[in-house]
Amino acid sequence: MRLGPAGRRPEAGAAVHPVLRAGLAIGLALLLASVLFWASGADPLAAYRVMFGYAFANPSGLVASLHRAIYLAFCTSAFLVPLRAGLWNIGLPGQVYAGTLAAYAIPFALGLHGPTPGAPTLPVPLLMALAAAAAGAALGGFVGFLRARMQVNEILVTMMLNSALFWIVSDFIKEGGPFMSATAEGESFNLPDPLRPALWVGLPPTALVALVAAAAVDFVFSRTAAGYRVRAFGLNPRAARYAGIDPVRVSVGVFVVGGALAGLAGYHYFAAVPGLYKIPTNYGYYGDLSFYGIICGLIARGSALRALPMALLFAGLSLGGRFAQGALRLPFGVDYAILGLLMTSFVATHLLDRSRLRLLPSRLAQPAGTHAEGAP
Amino acid sequence: MTELLARSLEASTVFLLAALGELLTQRSGVLNVGLEGLMLFGGTAAFLAAQAMQSHLAGVGAALAVGALLGLLHAFFSVTLRGDQVVSGMGLWILSFGLTTYLGSPHTGPLGLERLPTVLGLSPFVASAWVLVLAFWFLLFRTGLGLAIRSVGENPAAAAASGVDVHAVRYLCVVAGGTLAGLGGAAYTLSYNPVWNYNFLMGWGFVSLALVFFSMWNPWLLLGGSVLFGVMWQLSLNPELVLPGVLSRYVWRAIPFVTTIAILALISTQWFRRRWGLAKPEALGLPYSAD
Amino acid sequence: MADGNGSETRTHGRPPDRAVVLAARGITKRFPGVMALAGVDLDVREGEVHAVLGQNGAGKTTLMNVLFGLVHPDEGEVYVRGERVQFRSPHDALARGIGMVHQTRRLVAAHTVLENVLLGHPRAARGVMDFGAARREVAALCERYGVRVDLDARVWQLSEGEKQWVEILKALYAGARVLILDEPTSALTPPEVDALLRAVRGLVAEHGVTVLLVTHKLPLVRAVAHTVTVLRAGRVTARLPAAEASEADLVRHMVGEDVAPVGLEEAGRRLGPVVLEVEDLWAYGDKGTWALRGVSFEVRAGEVLGVAGVSGNGQEELAEVLAGLRPAAAGRVRFEERDITHLPPLERWRMGIGYVPADRNGVACVAAFTLVENTGLNYHFDPGLCRRGLLDYQGLEMLTRAILATFRVRAPHPHAQAQHLSGGNLQKLVVGRVLSRRPRLLVAHLPTQGLDVEATAFVRAKLLEARAEGAAVLLLSEDLDEVLSLSDRVAALYEGKVVAVLPREAADPSTVGTLMAGGRARGGVR
Repeated sequence: MRLGPAGRRPEAGAAVHPVLRAGLAIGLALLLASVLFWASGADPLAAYRVMFGYAFANPSGLVASLHRAIYLAFCTSAFLVPLRAGLWNIGLPGQVYAGTLAAYAIPFALGLHGPTPGAPTLPVPLLMALAAAAAGAALGGFVGFLRARMQVNEILVTMMLNSALFWIVSDFIKEGGPFMSATAEGESFNLPDPLRPALWVGLPPTALVALVAAAAVDFVFSRTAAGYRVRAFGLNPRAARYAGIDPVRVSVGVFVVGGALAGLAGYHYFAAVPGLYKIPTNYGYYGDLSFYGIICGLIARGSALRALPMALLFAGLSLGGRFAQGALRLPFGVDYAILGLLMTSFVATHLLDRSRLRLLPSRLAQPAGTHAEGAP
Repeated sequence: MTELLARSLEASTVFLLAALGELLTQRSGVLNVGLEGLMLFGGTAAFLAAQAMQSHLAGVGAALAVGALLGLLHAFFSVTLRGDQVVSGMGLWILSFGLTTYLGSPHTGPLGLERLPTVLGLSPFVASAWVLVLAFWFLLFRTGLGLAIRSVGENPAAAAASGVDVHAVRYLCVVAGGTLAGLGGAAYTLSYNPVWNYNFLMGWGFVSLALVFFSMWNPWLLLGGSVLFGVMWQLSLNPELVLPGVLSRYVWRAIPFVTTIAILALISTQWFRRRWGLAKPEALGLPYSAD
Repeated sequence: MADGNGSETRTHGRPPDRAVVLAARGITKRFPGVMALAGVDLDVREGEVHAVLGQNGAGKTTLMNVLFGLVHPDEGEVYVRGERVQFRSPHDALARGIGMVHQTRRLVAAHTVLENVLLGHPRAARGVMDFGAARREVAALCERYGVRVDLDARVWQLSEGEKQWVEILKALYAGARVLILDEPTSALTPPEVDALLRAVRGLVAEHGVTVLLVTHKLPLVRAVAHTVTVLRAGRVTARLPAAEASEADLVRHMVGEDVAPVGLEEAGRRLGPVVLEVEDLWAYGDKGTWALRGVSFEVRAGEVLGVAGVSGNGQEELAEVLAGLRPAAAGRVRFEERDITHLPPLERWRMGIGYVPADRNGVACVAAFTLVENTGLNYHFDPGLCRRGLLDYQGLEMLTRAILATFRVRAPHPHAQAQHLSGGNLQKLVVGRVLSRRPRLLVAHLPTQGLDVEATAFVRAKLLEARAEGAAVLLLSEDLDEVLSLSDRVAALYEGKVVAVLPREAADPSTVGTLMAGGRARGGVR
């Protein structure tokens, strides 16, 4: 698929300005969601007032929104990097889980998970973050390798890994698993105080990392030779090979970077954010949330920085949705519904925009380009 | 033991129905990676309709209708608008994942209907799926329409030059495929495990998608593959039947997914690729335009 | 090459006085930016071979697509046996007895011959297919027209000549009485061409079939046609009995003005050292069969080695092995005395090897990239434009502007997307990009395929310029004229082997043509 700014100039082929299109997609989704609210007997305006009020005007809600936005920002970058190579990383949950497990393995291995941990002599939070990135990268690299060397469909592999890793996490935190909490409630041990990274105006250091990562992703794709090679490969693998670009290096590389970013997302949400500091029973919910990263990336048309405000908006929507659920007695899963509707409205606006020219009389339309290397 | 076998066949039927639909879709050259979404939506519609009208049949009807509708949507995006089929399929999956969670949540819990009547412990879904395998094989390899479908999936330009309406054939296959995916979902929520839960499939649809690749696009091999996975699935739920005490039950749950990856890798090896490469519809995933 | 044995069986001269079976009046068709057909009239009489002659881009194929219902004209009418018809699809044309054999094969490679013949036939249109009865009918048809082809063979296993026969068989089985053959000889060896022409004469003389022959090859017209209609730039420039048409006239009608031929200036130049040395090279094709079977040759600095060959005889594979895109199974490739047999493509670019692939849309360009970004395909590794990992887009833009100017590429601006350029302009850009690297070895595969006369001449001149500047040029082409007019030495590639390397003095068309054909006629068609 063709997404994102090409080089340093706006795409000649884009018919509608990207920001306008993003706004259109989001607006359409919210409109559809209001139909759902209305059907469930709630006043849509009231629902949105409650949602936005909690997510952005309530101090504790705002902090939670920001924490979640950072998580989504990591996920977005993790999705975007492989996408630029034409590859779909829908393995975000699996990579998040892998990163989280690796992060918790550090205090576990150092014996710091007991009820009375000794004072750590090592920069444990840093080690945890590195371990998370490494685990995500390893899992992603595996996918990239299968894809590049054997042309194994990356969508299937990443999806299978999501399911497999989901159960592996259960194995670690439930029914006598090594990370199980002392109270045996089907969740992991609590991260002891000294191992929690310091906060600055309520935000953990991962906030800065996410920001730098997003900026770096955009920089790499717009300015560097490596980013150029990935884009060329994503748009036409045969031309890339002709130009001497190594397909294995590109595929493995983008998945290693994507996996590392998703692993960091796991570290951020499960080990660096107040209110959690453990792998909870409903860790699957946080895995599902990572799919918002896919939508952010798609709607932002390839730019990780442009996706940041969207990540904040979606973080607020999903949190506010949960809150409105309780306040207005809406059915469970408002956040899921919005996720689905956003995806649909993105696909609709994206495809309608791309085919706009085709719906005009044929003599006005541009000649259809060469067909994309579409099959995964 | 016979109960395990019956349960395995029930499970395999869910895989089989959805994968048959995907097989037909892919034979016409269209990839629908949103199979899991179609199954989720079909299964949820079946569950809600059956519960509301206290009738299994109403559930099946709802599943078929919803599956057809989503198939139509995919056909419109990928055939008429010639969009990227992966984008459209992913969209359908996440749409279904999100919306069914919202729509189904108030009804979380058991279906509350009598179990379907069984013959030899098997529900009517099992027999229908087997009949469909035969029917699909016959359709694809013994009828003119089947020849047209296979040709459209291999070389749409050649089919068009022979007077085949490529778009019509693709619409037909994608909609029919969606309908079957819906039916697969219904087999899950009405028969295999009639309890609604958020995201109840947890990857079944993607396993079905993988099964189509394993099958070399042949209905009989698909039947074999789905039975194999049905058995494996049941065993992963009841590992104590074969290897009591080995590994935790959670690790066992991960095994069907890991096996899928292993098989995917195996069939992608050079050794395997030659046959596989020939079986794969040449035009799979490529939009077709007459000009 | 076709008229060698033609004189006694030549059929033209028969007066075209029979009923008009297929007619077109005032056909006009516009494509974005192009007037493909401008008011074309055509009269095809029953039982004749009617040639439609014209250069690439003259509108021949579009006209045939209109007659076959694949393209709907903007204006104009089509008549079959005097009756006005409006074809919505090829189905309608077939129902009226019009069949078409396209220039590029329209067959499903993975299916059997029988399945291909049946596809789209009324017998296959509804319900269950009686394969047994269909097989008997098709076999009878083969018997009748003297076609020998295995009905159960998969199409990808067949030779080009056999594939063409499958298409003809398919049209006849569908009941075609008017057969449109679009450039039927483009992929055939000379013996296969002879067999085809014999068969066309037989179909017309013995079975009363009418043949509409679309071609740009004069000998073909002179060998079989009764009547010729010449097209140029979407208009009919001549309509005359083939017997009355002199070759010079036809050329003038076809080309319009004289185009200065490009050729080598002088012989006896001093050659440089050996740049490329290929020794007993073996490689597999895509199907896993041998595509190159022990190829050996060398190219020196400042010379063009032309490799002539019919498509499918290993040219593509040879080009890819030299570019590093296809592994060599055995043998050795040396560039300036260094063994490069197993070097990756990037190393070869760095060393000074340039490659112009045949497929400019699919391989040489990224359609959604701007022209500047496409230039990057040949420069993303260049130390002059890639410093400390950063790509110098401004430098690339300047370079692109220079290439656009030097190679007279018509493009709105350097940031236009490649997909909006015409084929000729795109090819000039690709050649320009590659030559701007000043490669010491240039591998050019079908560099002028599908280009108009002007662009062809331009690209050829540029290849010779590179030669004059001391590059070793390996030219792989299916166009015999191109090979003969540009090459210092000519090699013929046949079934993966170099059958001969001739100095240009010894390379005359008939010798090289025979070598390209391997001196034998394979294929099950008599």
